[in-house]
Parts: sequence; structure tokens; C-alpha cells
Amino acid sequence: MDLFWQQLINGLSLGALYALIAVGYTVVYGIVQLINFAHGEIFMVGAFGAFATWVVMGSPKEMSWQMAVFGLLPAMIVGGMIVSVCMALLTERLAYRPLRDAPRLAPLITAIGISVFLQEFVRLFFGSIPGMPDAKRAIPFPTVIGISGQSIHFGNVTVQISAIFTIGALAVCTLFLWFYVNRTKTGRAMIATSQDPDTARLMGINVDRVIMSAFAVGAALAAIAGVAHGLRYGNIDFRMGFLAGLKAFTAAVLGGIGNINGAVVGGLVLGVVESMATTFIPGQFGSPAWKDVWAFVLLILVLVFRPQGLLGAKTVDRA
Amino acid sequence: MSRLTSALTVPREKLEKYQTAAHIGGVVAALLGVASALMTWAYKDAHVALDDVTYSGAPSALQYNYIGLAVIAALLFAGPLVFRKPGPVRDWVAWNTGARFAGYGLLATGFVAVAAIGIEAGGVINVDPGGWLALVAGVLATVSGLVLFRSPDPAMGKIKTHSIVQIFAIAGGLAAVLFAAAFALGLSGPGAFLFYLTFAGSLAFVLVRAGIFGWFAKCAADNKKIMVLAAFFVAFVFPFTQNGSDANMSIATQVLIFAATALGLNIVVGLVGLLDLGYIAFLGAGAFTSAVLSGSLYSHFHWHPPFIVTVLISGCVSSLLGLIIGTPTLRVSGDYLAIVTLAFGEIFRITMNNLDGSDGPNITNGSNGINNVPELNFLGFNFGQAHVIFGIQVGRFANYFWLMLLVLAVIMVVFVNLNRSRIGRGWVAIREDELAAEAMGVNTFGLKILAFAGGAFLAGLAGAVKAHYDISVTPDQYVFLESAFLLAAVVLGGMGTVMGVLVGATILKLLPEKLRFFSDYRLMLFGLLLVFMMRFRPEGIIADERRQLEFHAEDEDLAESVEEELITYHDHFNPDALTTEDLR
Repeated sequence: MDLFWQQLINGLSLGALYALIAVGYTVVYGIVQLINFAHGEIFMVGAFGAFATWVVMGSPKEMSWQMAVFGLLPAMIVGGMIVSVCMALLTERLAYRPLRDAPRLAPLITAIGISVFLQEFVRLFFGSIPGMPDAKRAIPFPTVIGISGQSIHFGNVTVQISAIFTIGALAVCTLFLWFYVNRTKTGRAMIATSQDPDTARLMGINVDRVIMSAFAVGAALAAIAGVAHGLRYGNIDFRMGFLAGLKAFTAAVLGGIGNINGAVVGGLVLGVVESMATTFIPGQFGSPAWKDVWAFVLLILVLVFRPQGLLGAKTVDRA
Repeated sequence: MSRLTSALTVPREKLEKYQTAAHIGGVVAALLGVASALMTWAYKDAHVALDDVTYSGAPSALQYNYIGLAVIAALLFAGPLVFRKPGPVRDWVAWNTGARFAGYGLLATGFVAVAAIGIEAGGVINVDPGGWLALVAGVLATVSGLVLFRSPDPAMGKIKTHSIVQIFAIAGGLAAVLFAAAFALGLSGPGAFLFYLTFAGSLAFVLVRAGIFGWFAKCAADNKKIMVLAAFFVAFVFPFTQNGSDANMSIATQVLIFAATALGLNIVVGLVGLLDLGYIAFLGAGAFTSAVLSGSLYSHFHWHPPFIVTVLISGCVSSLLGLIIGTPTLRVSGDYLAIVTLAFGEIFRITMNNLDGSDGPNITNGSNGINNVPELNFLGFNFGQAHVIFGIQVGRFANYFWLMLLVLAVIMVVFVNLNRSRIGRGWVAIREDELAAEAMGVNTFGLKILAFAGGAFLAGLAGAVKAHYDISVTPDQYVFLESAFLLAAVVLGGMGTVMGVLVGATILKLLPEKLRFFSDYRLMLFGLLLVFMMRFRPEGIIADERRQLEFHAEDEDLAESVEEELITYHDHFNPDALTTEDLR
């Protein structure tokens, strides 16, 4: 039974990471019906932004844990957010907006182009920014005293502090998003635009700005996820956005794409399924090497049996 | 873009009086270009950059090319001075437009020459007056060209020519292409290659814009079968021009494998409009199947059917995977397909990595892959050995080149015939509007599955040959970036066209091989390329007109031309049916 609880906690923390990224896919999809394939790279750029913030602050290493948790960590998150939000808005403005009326294939191909470009750009040029290490290999993520590598024990179950941070961040972000979407003017404009962009425009909503805010919100959450990833795995590299983005998209589809709560639920479910699969599937196919495969098999199964996702309502195909 | 050009546009009246001056200026510039090629371009040992451009009065091979471009520029600039009155000859060619592009071409080649000498030979100090003169000639020709008005559309494509002449023109044109390709591959340094590429690109642009290409296009269109056969013949004799050089043949074979795979992807993406991001997995499935059944010492299967059987099995395995992945996803919106195929590509790669005996049954040796795949042996013809044909030695790569040419021909025949059939029209209908197609009775799901599985089958065929060609098959040859690379070839060349994909595949495979210095930036540039193509020319270099119309819905002329083509096509196949005239 201990094993079950251990894997549940592992799965939830992994799932929280997926969920934070998945929100970005789902918010953008809900409004412009675009799979922002480059979102995984926005997540990666956010992590690098957080790292760069740490370097700009003088690579602080020794400090009290209060200082680290309440000073360093928020600063890194904000730094990462600034970089990732700017990057997301830039891609929206320069690449996606001109293609808004183009056939659906065009923005998808553009998104792949952006994704490849951002990966390679970071790989080739991150090191040429003064003070930054070469990004061709994985870069060790700064340790935040009090979080990195620390854990608490409940009986035989070990819980990493970084896992608690990720789950906590997801909880805070979900609350914030709920408030933002349902209680603020921009949020309600988002709902209106996702329901009917043309009518929303007639009602005086600046649709361009709504779309930009959707990209920005997604990117901000992705930056938090980037920091969480760095704390969890201890390093970041230019490739990390690809698989994480793919998993997060899976999570978004699992929960019902376009539905914010769905993305959160989908992320958590996906994380738990992944970590359970490595433990409870017997024989060779239960080895960790197969966990990504099980995640994608889950995606395919969802598409077969419940294409609208766990929380998605049955809608007419808008394609 | 439009803002930029409008700022540069000078009112027509102001340019009116400078027309003659511009023609004369262009001729002078072009003659300066010729003169420059007779001088030395670079200081003595700068020939590492280009070829021997260090002798005065004795132009090198590349300089002769440059002279050719300059002479064409001179003729185009001089044409309107000679044929002052509108007449048949004057209407054939778009003199001014051609001249303008020739001017650009002279500038571009001059610039590349100076830049190549400057970079490769260590500083522009090594550029001799001849090189600078070429650059000046380019600038002058460009300025003269910019002053000229645009010509009316050239009429050369409408000239009626005797079919014998047409066939000779096709033969001559293709022979020129063959020699150009052989010459380009023979160039050693990146500077020389880039220079030649700029020259060839400029020449092609000038011929197209001046309308001379239109005549060739008509010759080709009037003698389609001869054209296709001749093109294959040229590709067939290509190995003989290489004197047994393996380096170029290896590149050429890789281009063919890449092109064949891209052509399969083009069915899925170009004709049906389904974005498949895991297409490389089908190539991989074919390659692994073929390797496992090849009798390699590293394979754990002890059944070695003849290659013909292996190829078919490989294709079937690939298309079976296509069915498995396509059946669930093709029912839902197309966006999902893109991501699910991407996930499938990952599943494939991870699975191949894991089938190593410790994480799963041992089939592929995990990340080591299957090595020592034996050479093909076909009715006693060993593909691994060099053969002497007509007194010319052709090596291992040439054998595989011919085999791939055959595979490519099969794929092209399938592609073209499907495109022109009921199935192909159904596909295009799905691409343009799936709901409407379904309402008109098109079996959308069935046709999508057919395209998906069929495309996978073709990739499986290519993969089966690739396994033998590469000798070893490992999972990391089949990563997502390769899929993106294939997609880039389709997008760059032109979705839905055969020629376009061949051109795109050649460019994307050949450039990195020949321009090693940019290999590190290769992927980044391809990412940018995808973005820019979608933004500025989504229909690709060689556009399918109907496809082009989807991206440029407001273009009335294009719409009319597509409609015309559809009507003639319709009449051709249904001579008794009501025509649009009757309906009016």
C-alpha cells in the first residue's frame, strides 16, 4: 500500500507539472482553435529565463531558506514569466496573427517551425549572452535552499518539497485562473470570444487583445512550470520543451481541450497513470522505459472512446 | 512588404523619359560584367574561394557562367532598343521584366563572388579590380532594371512549333540540366558551390520571368510522355557522369530516398490536407522490418525471404501501423491528427529502443539497432559491388541510386494517377471543405484512411531500400526532427505537386551536404523557413494552382485560370456531358 501512496504522490506532482503547461494549450485553443505547438518551447524558454534571472542576480548560492523561498524563488519565477510572456506575444504577433484567416494547416506548420526555431535558437545562442553558460548540454538549475533536494516523510512515503511546490503552484494558479476568467472583464471577454468571436467583436471586445492575453496567461503558467521542472529534475536543457509539451497536450485533450478545469484534471490523471503504469504493469512492459508510451496510448484511447475528453461537452466539430 | 515597395515606387511619368537611358545603361553594365570576367577577380592564391579566377584574359569555368548570364542580360536590355515597334518578336519575350531579373542576378552573383573571396581567402584585400568591377556592373544593371517598366505578359508560350523541334528542345534542355547538375556536384569549395547556385537560380528566374521558359513548358506539356521518359533517362544516366565518384552518388541516392519519402508524405499533406508529424516512423517501420528480415547477423529472425517479398512486407507493416494510428484519429478533427501522429512517432522510437531484451522482447537490439544489413543481391546482381557498364565504372551507390529511381518512379506513377482519379478528386474535396465533401457523398473517412495507409505503404517501400543502403538501422535515425525535415521539403517545394517536392527535397538535402559551414544552423534556418514560407508563399516554390487559390482566395485571375483548367479537364473526360456554355 505504501507503494501505491508513493506513486500517487509522484504522479500528482508530475501531473501538476503537465497541468500547468496544459492550461496554455487549452486557453489558446478555446479562443482561436489553434494548437499552439510551440507552447512546449515557451515552457522551455521560461525555464531558461528563470535561470538567466538567477545569473543576473549574481548567481547567489549561500542564503537562509526564508531568503531563498520568499526572495530568490519569486524573483526567478517573475524573470521566467517576463521572458516567456514576451516570447509568446512575439510569436503571436509575428507568426500567428497574419495567418488567422489562412487554411488550418498553415498555422500548424508555422507552429512547428517556431518550435524548431526556438529550440535551436536557445541551443546556439543562449551561451553567447554574456555570463550565460553554453546551452548545448543540460545546465544545472540553481538550487533553492529549502526546496531543492529536500523531502519529508510520512511513514514510508517520501514527499519531495519540490513536488509540494509544484502541486501548490498548480492550486494557486487554478484559483487565480478561476477568478481571472469568471470575475474580471478580460476573462469574461475571453469566454465571449471563445463562444463566438464575431459577435464578441460586435459587442466591442477587442479580440486581438483577448487573444494576446490568452497567450500571455498560458505563457506565464508555463514559466512557473519551467521553474518547477528545474527544481524537480535539477537541470534544464533546450530539448525539455518537446516531450513536456507533447505530454501537456495529451493532458489537455484528456481533460477536454478548451476547458481549463479539464486541463488541470487531465494533467493530474495523466501524471498518475504514468507513474502507476511503471509500478503496476507487470513484466517487461512495466519498466520506466515504457512510461511515455503508456501516456500516448492513453491519448489514443481517449480519442477513440471519448474524443471530447473527460470534462469536455459534446460539441459539433468546428473544423 | 507592400508598405516597403510603395515607398520605393516612383510615379510612372517621372520614369518615362529615362527608359532609353536605362536600356543603354543596362547594356553597358552587362558588357562591364563581361569585361570583368576577362580580368582577374582575386589575388593569386584566392582560388580556394572560387575556382581559378586569378588569370586575366582566361576566364575560369565559373567566370564563363557569369559571362553567359551577362550576355543574356545584355540581350534582354538591348532587345527593346532593337525591336522598337510592337511586333511578334517583341511580344514573345518580356524584355523589361527579364532584364530586371537579370540585373538582380548579376548583382547577386557579383556579391557572392566578392563575399566568397573576402571570407575564404581572408579579407576583401584579396579581391582584385575585376571582382569589384563585377560588383559595380551588378549594381548598375540592377538600378537600370529598376527604372524599366514591367513588360506585358510574354507570348512565347503560345508559339506553335513543330513537334520535332519541341522534342529537340526537351532533349537539349534536359541535357543542359544534367550537365549543370554534374558540374555543380563537381565543385569543391562552398564558395564555388554557392556562386554556381546563385548563378543557376538567377538564370532560372530570368528565363521564367522573360517568358522563355514558357516555351519550354509548352514543349513539355505538348509531349508529356516524352518529357517524363526523357527526364527519367537523364536521371538514369546521371551516374555515368560521375566517373565512379562515390561522394556525389551517395548524396544523390540520399536525395532520392528523401524525395520518395517526401512524395509519400505529400499525398497525406498535399492532397488530403492531413498533417502527419510522425511520418518518419513509417519509413522507420519499413527499414526495421526489412533489416530484421534481411539475414543480418544481428537480427533474431531466421527467415530471409527474397527482397521483393521483404519490400512488400515492409510496406504492409507500415500501412498496418498507419491503419492502427489513423482509424481512431481520422474520425476527429484534423488538429488532433497532427499531435497524435507526433505522439506515434515518439511511441515508435521509444518502442524500437526498448525492444532490446531487457525492457521487452529482443527484436531490434535497442539503441544499437540492427547492423550489418547485407547488401542487396538481386538475381545474381550484387548491389554492394562496383560494376563496369559501357566501360564506365559505377559503384555501390549508383546501384542503389537506380533502385531508388525505380521506387521513385513507382511512387510518382501512383501519385499522379491517384491525383487524377475519382479518389484524388475526393481527396482534394476533403482538403478544401470536409463537411461539404461529405455532404456531396464523398466517403471522407474511407478516403482519409486510404491516403494515410497508402502514404505509409510508400514510406515503407522507401524504408526497405534505405535499410540496405544505410547498412545499419538504429532508432535514433527516426526522430521527430526528421519528420519536420520531410514536412519542410513538402512545404518548400509546393504541397500537392510532384515537381515541387522533388525540388524541395533536393534543396534541403543537397545544401547542407555542400555547405558544411552552415550545418550547425541548419535546423534553425529550417524552422525559420517553415514560418516564412507559410507567411509569404504558403503554396511553395512550384505551386499547384488549385492549392494556391486556397491560400490566395482573393486572386481573381488565378480563380479564373483554375476554373478554365477544370472545365477543359471535365470536357476531356466527359465529352458528351453538358458544358458550362450549355448551362448558360
